[in-house]
Amino acid sequence: MRRALHSLTTLLTVLFLALISGAPALAEKLVSAVSSSHVAITSNFTGTQILVYGEIARDAETVSRTGNQDVVVVVEGPLERVTTWRKDRIVGLWINATSQTYIAVPSFYAVHATDDLRNIASDDWLKQYRIGLEHLPLAALGTRAPALERNAFKAAFLRSRVQHGLYSQMSKSINFLSPTLFSTTVDLPATIPTGDYKVTTFLFSGGVLLDQQEQVLTVAKTGFEQVTFNLSRQHPAVYGALAIILALFTGWLAGVIFKKD
Amino acid sequence: MTRGAILQIYLPIAELPINVFMIFAMGGTVGFLSGLFGIGGGFLLTPLLIFSGIPPAVSVATVTTQIVASSASGVLSYWRKAGIDFKLAGVLLCSGIVGSAIGVWIFGILRSLGQLDLVISLAYVTFLGTIGVLMLGESMKAIMRRKSGKAPAGRKPGQHNWVHGLPFKVRFRRSKLYVSVIPIFGIGSSIGFLGSVLGIGGGFMMVPALIYLLRVPANIVIGTSLLQILGTMAVATFLHAINTQSVDIVLALTLMIGGVIGAQFGAQVGQGMRGEHLRLGLGLLVLLVGLRFAFNLIVEPEDLYSVSVIEEPVK
Repeated sequence: MRRALHSLTTLLTVLFLALISGAPALAEKLVSAVSSSHVAITSNFTGTQILVYGEIARDAETVSRTGNQDVVVVVEGPLERVTTWRKDRIVGLWINATSQTYIAVPSFYAVHATDDLRNIASDDWLKQYRIGLEHLPLAALGTRAPALERNAFKAAFLRSRVQHGLYSQMSKSINFLSPTLFSTTVDLPATIPTGDYKVTTFLFSGGVLLDQQEQVLTVAKTGFEQVTFNLSRQHPAVYGALAIILALFTGWLAGVIFKKD
Repeated sequence: MTRGAILQIYLPIAELPINVFMIFAMGGTVGFLSGLFGIGGGFLLTPLLIFSGIPPAVSVATVTTQIVASSASGVLSYWRKAGIDFKLAGVLLCSGIVGSAIGVWIFGILRSLGQLDLVISLAYVTFLGTIGVLMLGESMKAIMRRKSGKAPAGRKPGQHNWVHGLPFKVRFRRSKLYVSVIPIFGIGSSIGFLGSVLGIGGGFMMVPALIYLLRVPANIVIGTSLLQILGTMAVATFLHAINTQSVDIVLALTLMIGGVIGAQFGAQVGQGMRGEHLRLGLGLLVLLVGLRFAFNLIVEPEDLYSVSVIEEPVK
């Protein structure tokens, strides 16, 4: 009896530990994929969409859960350093007066979910996994501004990014094709920066993270765009000389074509 | 986002797509004015590009390349009409390069202080405003004089101002000038300096300076100014390609094609127009651009906040 009780306690402890650490060892496992691991920027690139899809896999022994299962997909671009400026009226002129600088903010950020984020998990969970615009860690560099001021800057920064289509948050945007199959399409606007993107899929149930999966998405220029960009970075003198020659040639050609007298 | 729009082309350096026909039209319009007035048109094109969403650094750098092309076809056109003083252009160019080098240095200092935008706006307002008003006033006077039937005040052989009293005189045969190199160096270097700080060619300042200070004949002044602009802008393109790496060759080519075509028509129309009418038009244009910048500084912006990326993501 004691022995049985002991093993039950151990099992519960393991379960509990596994739950709070979000280890994938438990019942539901998540399998996810991205429609394409490369986004090629070509001369006619006007933005694109990627499909993130997957399945919630259950072991044969697992009793299916009664609680709601929620899936969250987060697409995060390469990190960058940005400054948000605010203009003030100084001697009658509107001038950039105060600023806040954020280090390591994502250049692109999209979150899609099966429900409102606040119904999926608590703020602590969401903060820990950087899920949701308001949970992005936006710590201003060396500021002593009061909280109200900091929040105003943060809101302005997020507003600007959302306006430019670089940040987005959508609830109920993940479709379940079957009880276990899900998919969502994420818009990548034309102005997305190049680099490696992180696509993370989270599986929540009853406010607890059950599993997470990560894929890498590479956004890169190809063909002529890539050759041009690389030349401008690796051989700037050659690039500059080419630009001048091209300009002189175009000007000369036009002169010849339009020669009248 | 416009999906499937066939007119969109992706700019490899600016890293965004843009409507080809919009850029083409911008280049064409500015090119026409450039040929008409003998200006590079940078002071129009750079703000236009910035207002259409292209990053300021790319706009400034790429416009220098576009000006090389549009002034090249202008230079050819004036060359055929023997409207260039090569010696004068050479002296102006050398001093212009010195001025640009100093300008690039100051540009770096201003940028590190974080108020480059403000300085650029204030400089646009001040210079464009002043020069616009001066040109308007002068050309109006000239037009009134002509209307009232008085003979235009042509250049008399004995007419001199203080500039002509300076030492180190050099003879410029084509311009029928015998003047000191000091004012020429002054004009060339200060316009080169302003040009690299403001991202413009400076033709709209060069032309009046040559006319009023040096008294270069009107039929020579535009071609000579264009040749000087071509030289300085070619140097600027090269420096930008190396320093800021923001010359977008695709954007430049699109602007050029529109620009050179426009410049041809502009130069032809300009030959058939009276000098004072041209100066009146240019004065108005310069003043308008200056006012546009003043408007931005004085009127409360819709959004007080703006976001700028300091450090690009690691590629």
